Amino acid sequence: MLKGHLDMIVLAALSSGPAHGYAVIEEIRRKSGQAFDLPEGTIYPVLHRLEQAGLLSSRWVTADTGRRRRIYALTRRGARALIERRAVWQRFSEAIGGLLADAGPRGSPA
Amino acid sequence: MISDYLDRLGGALSFDRALAHRVRVEIEDHLREGTAADPSPDRRGAEKRAIAACGDPRALAAEFAVIALAKRTRRLGVGVFLGIVGVLIAMKARVAWYALMQCAMSDDVRSVAAFVGSIDAGAFWASLVLGIAGAAYLGGGRAPTPLARTRRFRLLCAAATAALTVSVISDGVLTSIRLATADESAPYFPVFSILFEISCTVVLIAMIRDLAQRATFTAALQKM
Repeated sequence: MLKGHLDMIVLAALSSGPAHGYAVIEEIRRKSGQAFDLPEGTIYPVLHRLEQAGLLSSRWVTADTGRRRRIYALTRRGARALIERRAVWQRFSEAIGGLLADAGPRGSPA
Repeated sequence: MISDYLDRLGGALSFDRALAHRVRVEIEDHLREGTAADPSPDRRGAEKRAIAACGDPRALAAEFAVIALAKRTRRLGVGVFLGIVGVLIAMKARVAWYALMQCAMSDDVRSVAAFVGSIDAGAFWASLVLGIAGAAYLGGGRAPTPLARTRRFRLLCAAATAALTVSVISDGVLTSIRLATADESAPYFPVFSILFEISCTVVLIAMIRDLAQRATFTAALQKM
């Protein structure tokens, strides 16, 4: 289920500002209260795919360690896509919440 | 240990040097940072854990390869469109040049030229229709896997390019007939326009071949 929402999760993680892959993973862990501990390698193909789709932009920088690092940022299109996906998720979440609220434990019929 | 992992990752993507380099640098940064963030004093163990968290290098390479293949597929779509438009412009410009230079065709060869011209027109329209079909498939066609989608699109592009090649060869024959029988001492523009058309088709053939090779490598990576 999580895999189907990876794009939204990565976009949401980048909504607070540009970041490199490792920081994106850390942000996902932090924002999800450590609930989403994704296989780290899966994030990079998602970043590449979102960049190709025009939802992210990226550039090389040199980190303090002297290593080259790819920094990703939301594009305007990416920010719009995040707003849309957030609204869809909100509706879905409310609908499921409504369903589950009415589905409390009941005694078996006599 | 990290270098070994990166070598395996880079090796799996060796068919695309730019992608292999980018992925290698990016993943190296990730692994070094993951190792540095590990609180354990055992550095070798930290590297091992960082590598394990990243997953199998070939599986990772396969995911990158599929994404890169999608990009090349779209690029081929743009290439086919530009190739067909380029050939059309070259044909129209040549016809305009003939009219401007009053470069008429000899009556002896008119029937041959009409026959070759009909092949030319048919082949060009076929390439246009196949190109449009390819664009429509790329825009909304369904396929079980991204690789199957690329294969079908590539076949449509190959068919469009084959038809375009027939059209360009016919153009070459028509131009040769016209220039051989016309009183034109410096036919630079027709020759240049034909060379341009040939270049368009050669570039398209190279792009299709490149996509086919990448698809083969990507399929091999996915099987492992």
